[in-house]
Amino acid sequence: MTNFVAGRWWGAIVVVALWAALGGRAQAGEEDDLQRQIDTQRASAADLERLDELKAVGDEITLLRAWLDEAWNLRAKHEYDQCREVLDRAIKQEDLIRAKITVSKLRNQAQKHEATLNDLRGRIARTRKALQDTVDKKKALERTAQ
Amino acid sequence: MTASFATKRPWLTPLLLLGVACATPQKPRELEAFDNLRKANEARLPEVAKRSPDLMAEADRRSTAAHEEWQSNDLEESRVNALLAQIKLKTALAVLDQDQLKSQIQTLSGQEAKAQEELTGLSKDLASEQEKLALLQKYVEARKTAEADKQRLSQEMTTEQQKAQAEQERLSQQLAAEQKIAAAQLSMRTADTVDASQYAKPDYTTASEFLSRAETALKQNDYASAQAAADQAKKSADQAAVVAKPQYEQAEESSQNKARNEALARDAPLVPGVKVRIDPRGDLQRLVIVVPELFSKRAPNIAPGHEASLDGIASLLKKYSSYPVQVIGYTDNRGKSTELIALSAARAQAVYSALAERGVDTKRLMVSGLGGEDPYVDNRSAAGRAKNNRVEIVFLYH
Repeated sequence: MTNFVAGRWWGAIVVVALWAALGGRAQAGEEDDLQRQIDTQRASAADLERLDELKAVGDEITLLRAWLDEAWNLRAKHEYDQCREVLDRAIKQEDLIRAKITVSKLRNQAQKHEATLNDLRGRIARTRKALQDTVDKKKALERTAQ
Repeated sequence: MTASFATKRPWLTPLLLLGVACATPQKPRELEAFDNLRKANEARLPEVAKRSPDLMAEADRRSTAAHEEWQSNDLEESRVNALLAQIKLKTALAVLDQDQLKSQIQTLSGQEAKAQEELTGLSKDLASEQEKLALLQKYVEARKTAEADKQRLSQEMTTEQQKAQAEQERLSQQLAAEQKIAAAQLSMRTADTVDASQYAKPDYTTASEFLSRAETALKQNDYASAQAAADQAKKSADQAAVVAKPQYEQAEESSQNKARNEALARDAPLVPGVKVRIDPRGDLQRLVIVVPELFSKRAPNIAPGHEASLDGIASLLKKYSSYPVQVIGYTDNRGKSTELIALSAARAQAVYSALAERGVDTKRLMVSGLGGEDPYVDNRSAAGRAKNNRVEIVFLYH
């Protein structure tokens, strides 16, 4: 019986040891995984900053970087769930930034089109006036020539 | 009643406000920002919901949760959900912005293409009109230049015409002066032919002076003066000629007559069988050709053998055709006077006829018979009487 009990204790110890060992390995894996995610998102943030040629989403990128820093800190504190939440939010923020960059580019494009159109309209108006002036001058000359 | 209660206890109001504040926690900044964002875009929300229903639904869900968590004082969760709601709403708005901007860009591109097309058309029209205008301007310029050239040429032509006219006028004046001088010179020559310098000296001298003046004026191109002087010269020369002519003619005639008379006097004795004498009576000179013994005793006809004498007399009459000539018949003194006169007239007529037969112009012949008057020789002898039966051909002149 004693042996049986002793055997059970040893079993429990082994189980605990195994759990602890496996748990530690799982924790280390999660940490690495979070670090990769954070690194990936930081690289992504840098890419987005480069993409933001018109500097339209500087605040959003700053916010993203702040969240990634927050995630890094949470990871360092082993608060993995919170870290994941922050990372999840950062991913959504990246989507938002991409959308906003696209919007800024489209807006810029539209502004350019508008400017071009305004320029064309101006040129049309000037050309139309020049044409009218030319026609008037021609008529006057024709009268003179007669 | 409440008002009076509160007025009587002023410390109660801050306490009540503090109580309320403690009852509901302060709204998280993120949730406030979300609410503001939603409020600011309230008008666009239906469109956003239509374009991105999932995003909008997620935003609403997160918003509701954030508000609930705020009410239940779970501020950290409320903040997180508010942030996520903001992200979703912003993303949805951005997606709608993208769509609207794409649509706007498409519209603008279309308008731009149309505007470009319109501008191209207008530019072409403008270029065409400007080309026409340039051509027209060139035409007008060319026309102006042509008009100016025409005017200039016209002026030049007018000037040239005026010059030519002036030159023509000058030449005309010169020609007129030269012609008048030539006319004056001719008049002078004409006056010279009648020796006007001798017979009309004053007029001739005046004419010479005027002619000299005219020639001088012509050399000095003073044509008016030249013409006037030439006219005067001509007038004076003509006058001199008129004055001198009768005197000259008289002198000339006298000279000619004298020479002719001398020639007649030389030629007459050459006629065979005749005797010639000069018998002046006052101013009148008489060259008498006597044909003695031309008739027999009482015969009225010309005795034969005197043809040569008659031919010679006829030739002499023809040569000196301007002299008036008497054909006078004579007889001796035997017989009645009337008979003798008739006989002498018949004898003169016979000679007249003989001369007429020889072609002498008889209009200037005056026939008469004087009988026994003016005997040529003494009638006492037979030979003398024979000689007195004669015809005398008398040339009369001064």
